[in-house]
Amino acid sequence: MRISLNWLREFIDIDIDVDTLAHKMTMLGIEIEAIERPWQGITGVYVGEIRSIEPHPNADKLVVCKTDVGRDQPLQIVCGATNMKVGDRVPTSVVGAKLVGGFEIAARKMRGVPSEGMMCAADELGLGEDHSGLMILDPSIPIGTDCIPLLGLDDVVFDVEITPNRGDCASMIGVARELSALLGVPYRVPEVRITETSEPATQFSSVTIEAPDLCPRYIGRVLPSVRVRRSPAWMCQRLIAAGQRPISNVVDITNYVLLETGHPLHAFDYGLLEENRVVVRRARAGEVIITIDGDSHPLSPEMLVIADAVRPVAVAGIMGGKESEVGEETSRIFLESACFDPVSIRRSSRALGLQTEASAHFQRGADVDMCLYACNRAAALMQELADGVVAAGLLDEHPRPPVRKTVQLRYDRANLLLGADIPAHTQRGYIQSLGFDVVEASETACTFRAPTWRHDVSQEADLIEDVARLYGYDKIAATLPSISQVEQVFAPFEARVRRLRALLVGAGLTEMMHWTFSQAADVRKSELPDAYLDMVALANPLSENLSTMRSSLIPGLLDNVTRNLHRGNGSIRAFEIGPVYKPRADKDLPDETLRIAVVLTGAAASPHWASEQRSVDFYDLKGIMEVIADHVGAVAAYQPLEMGPFQTGQSASVVVDGRELASMGLVKSTVLKAYDIEQPVYVLDADLQALLALNPAAKQFEEIPQYPPSLRDIAVLVDNDVPAGALCEAARDAAGKILRSVDIFDVYTGKQVPEGKKSVALSLVFQSPERTLTDQNTQKAWDKILHKLETEFNATLR
Amino acid sequence: MKDKLEEIRATALGAIGRAESLDALEQARVEFLGRKGGLTDVLRGLRDVSPEERPALGKLANEVKDAIANALDECKAALEGKEAEKRAQKDRVDLSLPGRKPALGHQHPISTVTEELLDIFLELGFQVATGPDVETEYYNFDSLNTPADHPARDSHDTFFVKPGVVLRTHTSPVQMRVMEQTHPPVAVVVPGRVYRVDLDASHSPMFWQVEGLLVDRGITFADLKGTLMLFVHRFFGADVKVRFRPHFFPFTEPSAEVDISCSVCKGKGCRVCKYQGWLEILGCGMVHPEVFRYANYDYETYTGYAFGMGVDRIAMLRHAISSIGHLYENDLRFLEQF
Repeated sequence: MRISLNWLREFIDIDIDVDTLAHKMTMLGIEIEAIERPWQGITGVYVGEIRSIEPHPNADKLVVCKTDVGRDQPLQIVCGATNMKVGDRVPTSVVGAKLVGGFEIAARKMRGVPSEGMMCAADELGLGEDHSGLMILDPSIPIGTDCIPLLGLDDVVFDVEITPNRGDCASMIGVARELSALLGVPYRVPEVRITETSEPATQFSSVTIEAPDLCPRYIGRVLPSVRVRRSPAWMCQRLIAAGQRPISNVVDITNYVLLETGHPLHAFDYGLLEENRVVVRRARAGEVIITIDGDSHPLSPEMLVIADAVRPVAVAGIMGGKESEVGEETSRIFLESACFDPVSIRRSSRALGLQTEASAHFQRGADVDMCLYACNRAAALMQELADGVVAAGLLDEHPRPPVRKTVQLRYDRANLLLGADIPAHTQRGYIQSLGFDVVEASETACTFRAPTWRHDVSQEADLIEDVARLYGYDKIAATLPSISQVEQVFAPFEARVRRLRALLVGAGLTEMMHWTFSQAADVRKSELPDAYLDMVALANPLSENLSTMRSSLIPGLLDNVTRNLHRGNGSIRAFEIGPVYKPRADKDLPDETLRIAVVLTGAAASPHWASEQRSVDFYDLKGIMEVIADHVGAVAAYQPLEMGPFQTGQSASVVVDGRELASMGLVKSTVLKAYDIEQPVYVLDADLQALLALNPAAKQFEEIPQYPPSLRDIAVLVDNDVPAGALCEAARDAAGKILRSVDIFDVYTGKQVPEGKKSVALSLVFQSPERTLTDQNTQKAWDKILHKLETEFNATLR
Repeated sequence: MKDKLEEIRATALGAIGRAESLDALEQARVEFLGRKGGLTDVLRGLRDVSPEERPALGKLANEVKDAIANALDECKAALEGKEAEKRAQKDRVDLSLPGRKPALGHQHPISTVTEELLDIFLELGFQVATGPDVETEYYNFDSLNTPADHPARDSHDTFFVKPGVVLRTHTSPVQMRVMEQTHPPVAVVVPGRVYRVDLDASHSPMFWQVEGLLVDRGITFADLKGTLMLFVHRFFGADVKVRFRPHFFPFTEPSAEVDISCSVCKGKGCRVCKYQGWLEILGCGMVHPEVFRYANYDYETYTGYAFGMGVDRIAMLRHAISSIGHLYENDLRFLEQF
């Protein structure tokens, strides 16, 4: 909301500077988001009286005027406007003046005639879009008066945020009321003086409320005669300051009063109301209304409408109908000021897709007392500015009188909650200054009756907040609480996920975090099994490609690889930790499982002057899996995998305790093609939640051996398809306890190795915790190993 | 014989003095002290000397031997020093060449900042709690005193899964989930992804929040101020100014927003702070009595505070990240800067 400071001053005297005021308002809860001076820079404009108008010797469409701005001589000004006459007073810019957009006025010849200034239309002063003629000012304003303050061009505008609970602050009066409480200065509302005709309003019209549950009050006033024309400059300036466009006096007045009081009004063209009467009712099935924005809306029976004798003429509290709209031809007005049920307004507004100033105000709750004031204020302004004739009396239907809530404030409770020591009388004074009445008071507590505009107040905490606001949040001390903890642990894996993250970063992987949105097409593109198509779908997604929650981390990472490769980042070693989502038939909420995915492509390490470059391969990926398994204490077995995105023969299923907890490997060429990737990509996807839940027992220390180890190697030729790991296991079996460790230190195919065979070299460490092993001991074990390898794998010693 | 010994001494010391390499020195050692060397010959000749002369000559012979041996040692040490220096000269490293740095990866700035935020509160005695991304309307709104048709729901552009089920719009539902599971005291911090239907240069439909909840006897607004001021000073720096400004959240009362003096312009006013000198970084307040009612906590016995902050915004401020989009695009040229 935009607040004109000049306008605000009409309601309350403010004797502090703009920045201090802005700070105080912000600290009161009316946050100033920006301070603007919309007309800053306009200078050199004075009230001038036109003394003479002569034809231009060389141009039909121009005239030469003499305009008196209070200097020794009238200024000669060449002018193209036609709406003025001798004796009119107009805003006149002199040589050196600056207008909207920095336009500077210079002395120059216009078609051969010297001109030393310019008489201004409204748009040239930033007062609306009207360029139809000069602004004609009130003839009582003295010649030479500076137009900057006169027309409000020195105004300061606060752009403020009003919180949704404080709809009552969304008006000049609302802000003035709050400031009054804070500054201890009374606020005032403009006095309303209406001269009514002798004809009663009831003679012209009637109001019937058929839905009292949705309309607690409806006030109508009839103006049997008005003259629609342009609004005066001061009103235009204020509307513009508030961010509105002046239209015509009748419409501008309803907008002006809304800004002033916070209460929305609507003016109907009385002559266009069938039978000239108003019915407040629910819409009938099949009814349609064309609103003033020109759109047609089908209505439903949940929606409240204002109707005449036959058809809806407005969607109540939201927008008027086109057919009864006030236009230039309008001469009679039915003025509406009403209160509507906030929930009903909110629902209708949503259903129709119509968010208006009026609906915004009504949704936050209207003030039944302000309803009356606003009606009279508007009628008075119409009388003053639109030659309005006002019929006698109000058509005031008031089926549900408001209930003003009573709320108790215990002074101790306020101090306890705030951690402050605010005296009782001070607290009481704060609440009273906000318009609350005292119902009952004691030494320790006070019961207040809330004013009609405070819909947000329903309990003690609300009053305590008001006490705190007026006392000042900044005056409340800052203390540190002593914090106690419960035994229960709410996020048992959090610390270990954090350590894993650090570990993987240490292992050279970069962490990624993608949006958790996906779509079914991603599952197909990455050739994941159909089970992954069971996705959590969004009812109102941002777009098709973000229409579900992800069922796997893999598509997101492959998309990322495409993006990074296309941008020239050729090597990616990354991981992502995050949830995947799967609907559960029997539950409202889906299953959310924490997973980890790793992607490797390109170089195995950043290039270095002293290292050879090589590309990542399956064993780089397996190494990462081993790091993860070690971190969670999992003993993992790697089994051949034939699944979805992975290339058979270069992929594995990782089995822990009989459960497949991860899959990993080279991404299939068809998938890579679908992702427009032209280099090998390795992906790992693991159920991190299950891995973390393994929670193995603490590691137990094993005594460091006292006796020296004996180191032997063995190299054998075996068939290509014999897994090297099986040789290690056989060695362990054969040698028994004295084989402390066995490692594969070389796997070789090529020269000197027959086709279809490979050479595998194992390094064996023999050691006993009880004694020094003799050569015979070691040799015996070594022989057993060889024998086992020969018989079981048809191995030959190299 | 005495002359011979003196001559050997003179020749040997001369030769040692002239030796320029360890090889030459070794040659000298063999020549004068070796088994076939000059001195050995002389010593052998001692057998033929008369017993009267033998002690004096023997002594002299030993003196000569020691002198030569000492000279050899000294010279050897000197030559070795020279050799080592030569080697060191040859083995000099190029200080400008990059080191063989272990291939470290990069942690995502969101998770780094989240961890740092949490750590401050963990140290104070809070523990971490988490909740689901896909949440019921009950936990996301109703139990947080935001019933259907509450105007506050308008400011949360909510993703719906089906009636009653949403993507959580804030981490606050975890407040209720935790309170349902335990009795006070409650002291938790909640990191998590949250979702709003919003996408432009400054909004991402998914972003991160960190929430805090403290409930116990006698927790005050002053405690809230103290806790968050400590947090701001630890995280943003001791010289940062903090202000608490009244605001509205349905689930706290009194409520506040917390601003810090703009880190870019130091409070003078700039584009980042919209010329206000202040940056809003979190929302907070005292737990609303209605929320306690939903949690079955006695409002008269217990009080509490809650706060919530946007991790993305804080990360962007701290690292001068120009657009929120960078955080979720995961371009390596972005990630590798952290």
